Amino acid sequence: MSSTPVTTFWRVAGMSYLQYINKTAGTMRSVLKEPAKTRAMAQEAYGYNAAVWEAGKQGPKLPVANIQQAGK
Amino acid sequence: MLSRTASSFLRRSATRCMSTEAATAVKLNFCLPQETLYKGASVHSVILPGMGGEYGITANHVPYVSQLKPGVVKILHEEGSADPEKYFVAGGYALTHPDSTTDVICPEAVKLDDIDPSEVAKKYDAARTKFSSATAGSIEQAEAQIEMEITKEMGMAIGVSLN
Repeated sequence: MSSTPVTTFWRVAGMSYLQYINKTAGTMRSVLKEPAKTRAMAQEAYGYNAAVWEAGKQGPKLPVANIQQAGK
Repeated sequence: MLSRTASSFLRRSATRCMSTEAATAVKLNFCLPQETLYKGASVHSVILPGMGGEYGITANHVPYVSQLKPGVVKILHEEGSADPEKYFVAGGYALTHPDSTTDVICPEAVKLDDIDPSEVAKKYDAARTKFSSATAGSIEQAEAQIEMEITKEMGMAIGVSLN
């Protein structure tokens, strides 16, 4: 039995299928021509909103710059 | 008594799974997470870029499940179409059912006209540089290899040769 792994190179490097397919889709989106490119890049965009609870009441939901800031 | 109910159950479930008539066309469901390109469209055949090679589905094809590699999906709406409708897909899966319904599910698909040849060439060269400078077996090298593979496929689809 050979000791070389018999699987895809990305699995060997430690990536999951989701990471792989998101990388291929992202690469594809970055090389498109203009109207298609803006529409496609919108698929990758994400953001976070956070609301602070005080005395049992939810405060307003405001956007946060990144997930690290959300707890502050 | 037990055998009669069991056999009638099997007969009923078999008719649900298999149609008694041969299909005359492929029913295509081609969808992305953000939009549906085709739903139940009757087409003559679909050519798909499977992991094991390109393959075509016509009516009454054997049921088939295939992972797709980045490549071109060609849809022939009529028999003998000179000009198939082409989409470049970033991967995904294709399932052909016993009744010739074919589901093609991809994260992203574009028309070949929307691909920018100069960007493809630039991305390929950048990925190749990253690949040679990354440590062997690292995630960076795997990502560079992924970029190289897909840009090379895109180049082949639009007629730009990259190596």
